[in-house]
Amino acid sequence: MMNCEEYKQAITTDPTFDGGAGHVSACADCQAYRSEMQALNIGIAGALQIDVPKLSMPELPEIEPSVDSDKVVSLASWRKFSRPTGFALAATVLLAAVIGIRMSGVGGSYGSLEEQVLAHVDREPGAFRETSAPVSERRLTRTVPANIAHLNHDAGVITYAQGCRINGNTVPHLVIQGERGPITILLMPEESVGETRIIDGLNVRGVILPVGSGSIAIIGEREEQLERVKQFMLESVNWST
Amino acid sequence: MNGSKAMDNRRRRFDQIVAGFHQDMYRYAAWLCRDKSIAEDVVQEALLRAWKSLDALRDDAAAKQWLLTIVRRENARYFERRRLETVDIDNLTASQSALLAEAPDEELTDLREAIYELADDYREPLVLQVLMGYSTSEIAELMDLKQGAVLTRLHRARLKLKENMAGEVTSRAG
Repeated sequence: MMNCEEYKQAITTDPTFDGGAGHVSACADCQAYRSEMQALNIGIAGALQIDVPKLSMPELPEIEPSVDSDKVVSLASWRKFSRPTGFALAATVLLAAVIGIRMSGVGGSYGSLEEQVLAHVDREPGAFRETSAPVSERRLTRTVPANIAHLNHDAGVITYAQGCRINGNTVPHLVIQGERGPITILLMPEESVGETRIIDGLNVRGVILPVGSGSIAIIGEREEQLERVKQFMLESVNWST
Repeated sequence: MNGSKAMDNRRRRFDQIVAGFHQDMYRYAAWLCRDKSIAEDVVQEALLRAWKSLDALRDDAAAKQWLLTIVRRENARYFERRRLETVDIDNLTASQSALLAEAPDEELTDLREAIYELADDYREPLVLQVLMGYSTSEIAELMDLKQGAVLTRLHRARLKLKENMAGEVTSRAG
């Protein structure tokens, strides 16, 4: 049977606690305490019920909901889908931490291109999904239209393709599956960088490579081997403008 | 299924989920950040993120927990970005004061202020238990805590409120 201390602890933690009946039925002090805590709980419930403004739905971007399995990007064999990981969550959390550290000033303005890239990637949780399902050719063509870049499809499973905003420009955001998890690629024909820039997070790293008059950002898990991806992207992307 | 139909279905599913839990999302956000305007921003960001990752929600029965988890992360992101200062209850902005307003009586106002002043670590599990109807194990999962830690925080939160309210009663009587 519970004693007074145990019963009061239980009823304070959860005033709906219905155990300890044997004790409380014979203890006037605990009966009074229970009534007091239950009354407090009713008050708390009332106090927490603040008014809720009318739902204002944000503008929702178009999402490609399905894959045309009969029309997919041609695949190469360098990626092996052997290890499901918690990369998605970890990357999101860590990127958030990195962004938090790197943010400049109040109000959420992002400074450098590296910071913008990190901030953007963090806002695209769908891009962190580990999957072996490639996007459709149609989807890829729409995301990387010929007037932005000619993409060589011969290496890498592209599992995500979305047009995204960086510095006011819509740029293709692609994901391929690396050995350690998803690798994000941003094709930025308008973003000129003089030399390779390093993106260095707690658990993620990457680069922004100068490519002609634009650049390409590549970000993966810290242990990811990005050299092959970099090489692949440098060989396969040609700006059309 | 063509793309347009699939998009319509996706949107319909999203709208149903949001309609069912928007109030919970807002109240949770408001009590996390203690500011109605920020809560609205957090909920907007959470809705956007939820929309983008809707495919990750396999079972709509788990939608509430899923949405609240997103709200929690968005709230953390908001404060990582802005690094707001500690709130002084005697020097609140209009948006912060709005959270404390509207209580129908003085006792409820006092209690709302007492909850407002609770440390985040104590206020959040209390909100999840009382407002969201979560069990301690569900709270532990959402907050990534051991169940024992949740029990301790709930216990301390109520004792603190009880103590504060006793003080308020004495003060009013005096």
